[in-house]
Amino acid sequence: MTAGTVLDLKTLDTETRSALTRHILRLADSKRLLGIRYSDWNLGAPTVETGIAMSSMTQDEWGHARLLYAMLKELDIDPVEVEHERPAEEYANIGSVDEPFPDWAATVAGIVVVDGALYTAIAAFARGNLESARNRCAKMIAEEDFHISLGAAWYRRLASSSDEAKKLLREATDRFLPEALAWLGTDDGPARTLVDAGGTEPGADQVTTFRDYVRDVLAAGGVDVDAVEPATDEWDAERGRRPGHPDQDTIERARGDRNRALFVE
Amino acid sequence: MMEITYDVFARKSRGDMLAHIGYIDALDDDTAKVYAWTTYSEENWFEMCVVPRSEIIPVNLTEGPFARNHGETS
Repeated sequence: MTAGTVLDLKTLDTETRSALTRHILRLADSKRLLGIRYSDWNLGAPTVETGIAMSSMTQDEWGHARLLYAMLKELDIDPVEVEHERPAEEYANIGSVDEPFPDWAATVAGIVVVDGALYTAIAAFARGNLESARNRCAKMIAEEDFHISLGAAWYRRLASSSDEAKKLLREATDRFLPEALAWLGTDDGPARTLVDAGGTEPGADQVTTFRDYVRDVLAAGGVDVDAVEPATDEWDAERGRRPGHPDQDTIERARGDRNRALFVE
Repeated sequence: MMEITYDVFARKSRGDMLAHIGYIDALDDDTAKVYAWTTYSEENWFEMCVVPRSEIIPVNLTEGPFARNHGETS
């Protein structure tokens, strides 16, 4: 990749166009669903201030998702249809947000691991050669800095509190981490095509960055991030994730089905 | 849960005086910054700072939110 070179979308071959579309969907769908999972904690977080922060993070994730979906216009894909019409089986989100975070400890692990993986992927996308990614991802990264701070502080706090909190934190981390490593380190055909085109950085490099970023935080909970292997079994290359999909209720929330009659775009 | 009270100061424009706009309770300095920024988000602040209330030294009053620190200036 040459610094300053911009990906010319008009001359993209079919394979690269498809790889870029998948990449945008993986990021956008993950952020949309992560926002829903955060929204579950706008009320019921441990303190009022934490709930307000979760509300702000919810809005951040949904705003980022909209910016990412809008990038599909450049590929002559209607983002409205993508956002509001797709079935659950087509969602390309990281699997860890298929289900709600069951407790506050899992939410904190989700902020560190899942949001951390997304942060890493967005930063790599911003360093690629797609002009709109360079322009839009910088703001996302600035907002995500707050998510990182909040997640790390709460992770350390729970890791030094009750045995029950430590147990829940560890279980959630063990559940999310292999998935995050696989998702971030994706090295299938479409991923290599996009890297070759300069659209983002190799998955292995992103995993290295991510491990460096979470190593100390996760160590507070007794997790050795370098000892965890990615879960790549039964890989679905079409969506760039493991099998499975969000449940129907989640998808109806993501698509805004219940407000369909009031939809204004 | 042990929380620390932080007072929040902000100004809208470069030339404005830094003003006390409220307080938040947080786990530590990092979460204080997040909570202050997200709680007092009604303005597009030019600058915002947080100060642990325990670090504020009262000058003349012996009552009020900061008076707990009265005489602890050593």
